[in-house]
Amino acid sequence: MNEDKYLSIGALTRYLKAKFDGDANLRTVFLKGEISNFKAHTSGHFYFSLKDETSKINAIMFASKARLINFTPMDGSKVLVTGRVSVYEATGSYQIYVDEMMEDGVGNLYIAFEKLKKELAKEGLFDAKYKKPIPKIPEKIGIITASTGAAIRDIISTIRRRFPYAETYLFPCLVQGEFAKDDIVKKIKQASDYDIDVLIVGRGGGSIEDMWPFNEEIVARAIFDCPIPVISAVGHEIDFTIADFVADLRAPTPTGAAEMAVPNMNDLITHLQQLQIRLNEAVNNHINKYQMQLNHLKDSYVLKNPMIMFDNKKQRLMLLEERINENLKRKVEYERLHLDHLKKSYIFKNPEVLFEPALNQLKVFQETLQRQITSHIKNRNQYLQYQIEKLEVVNPLHILNKGYNVAYQNGCLIKSVEQIKDKDLSLHFQDGVIYATVDKIEKEKREWQSKK
Amino acid sequence: MAKQEVKFEDKMKELENIISELENGEIDLDQSIEKYTRAMKLVKECNEKLKSVEEQVSKMVTEDGTIEDFEMENSQQ
Repeated sequence: MNEDKYLSIGALTRYLKAKFDGDANLRTVFLKGEISNFKAHTSGHFYFSLKDETSKINAIMFASKARLINFTPMDGSKVLVTGRVSVYEATGSYQIYVDEMMEDGVGNLYIAFEKLKKELAKEGLFDAKYKKPIPKIPEKIGIITASTGAAIRDIISTIRRRFPYAETYLFPCLVQGEFAKDDIVKKIKQASDYDIDVLIVGRGGGSIEDMWPFNEEIVARAIFDCPIPVISAVGHEIDFTIADFVADLRAPTPTGAAEMAVPNMNDLITHLQQLQIRLNEAVNNHINKYQMQLNHLKDSYVLKNPMIMFDNKKQRLMLLEERINENLKRKVEYERLHLDHLKKSYIFKNPEVLFEPALNQLKVFQETLQRQITSHIKNRNQYLQYQIEKLEVVNPLHILNKGYNVAYQNGCLIKSVEQIKDKDLSLHFQDGVIYATVDKIEKEKREWQSKK
Repeated sequence: MAKQEVKFEDKMKELENIISELENGEIDLDQSIEKYTRAMKLVKECNEKLKSVEEQVSKMVTEDGTIEDFEMENSQQ
């Protein structure tokens, strides 16, 4: 009666799905098994079952993932898959959603491949800086591959078709099996001793085991060490080998390698023809350029009218002549004007002004001199008068006025009786002279005289 | 193997270089005539080489280093 406790199918299925999806262990599952009921849908999805001796699980691989696998799955294929386990609600069945799938048995090879690839990459063997340029027009091409099979046939026929000019040298070698790697290495070394422009190393398509020699380390190192540029050509477009990474150029197929190695003969001939055209054009342009320059020079006015050079000189001479005359005339005119100007000048008309200061000075001098002379004469006169007056005072004749006289003998004034040598004696008075004769001389002493 | 005098590719390269130089027009007339003469010689040589070529026989280098003609089996296939 109580219907509430009954679940819908959908609810149960959703519940189970949630359980599956919530389990971390089921999110990434590695499974090993055999494929059965394989169907590749037109949409690109793969539908199949995986089974082993005891159990079976449905599997789906969506197109986006299915596109990436490099083998063709079929019933009975033993495979290794990676994916998640979940519930498909419509059928209520659990299944594995496959992300990656590879053939079992080669699984170990993949691991080895990835490991070696990583190592060599780290070591730098794949670096672009070591890639040797591939010659554009090789004349001798070395080929290391099997002497039978599609690869050598494709390579040689492609080279002959494109560029018969090239010589091909095959170094036949094993390309699969346990001895192949050593043989490939040996042939690469042997080829290095020949005068070869480019080396193609490869083989046609096959299983991953078949192509394995080209994933061997010694092969990779031999390619790296090879002094000749190497083009790798292993298997098909999708096959990548270590040899491809280390080669100077990777070709998708042996045919592709031959196409990359040699130019197309017709292209080359066309290219050469174009070069010739360009050469002629370049040279013609070059010559035309010089021709034009030459014509231009020939047409120049001067070359056509050489006399123009002299005309120019003549003209210039005349011009200079004119200029000299002009200058001279101007100079004379200027001097004349200057002279006129001078003539009209105040100084010229009144030259005396030039002497005026000197005349004034002279006049001052004259006046000063006059004044000084007058003053001097006056001084002298005064001095003279003074001397005269002084003389007047001492004039002995004044004494005579007081009754004294003076006696002279032989022109000498007699001051003492001892001076008398002669008899003649003149006595001078105020108003005349007595000529007398000395009779007797009597000398007397006067006290007062000596006191004085 | 006797080494060839000048490789075809090197001749083509020289030719292309000369043409570039001439196209740049930076060289004088005497030089350009000289270059042109050289370039024409190269063109002639290259042309002759390309046209004179007989289809080469493929060779095979054996283990001991001898060179033999190599015939592809089923080359017509």
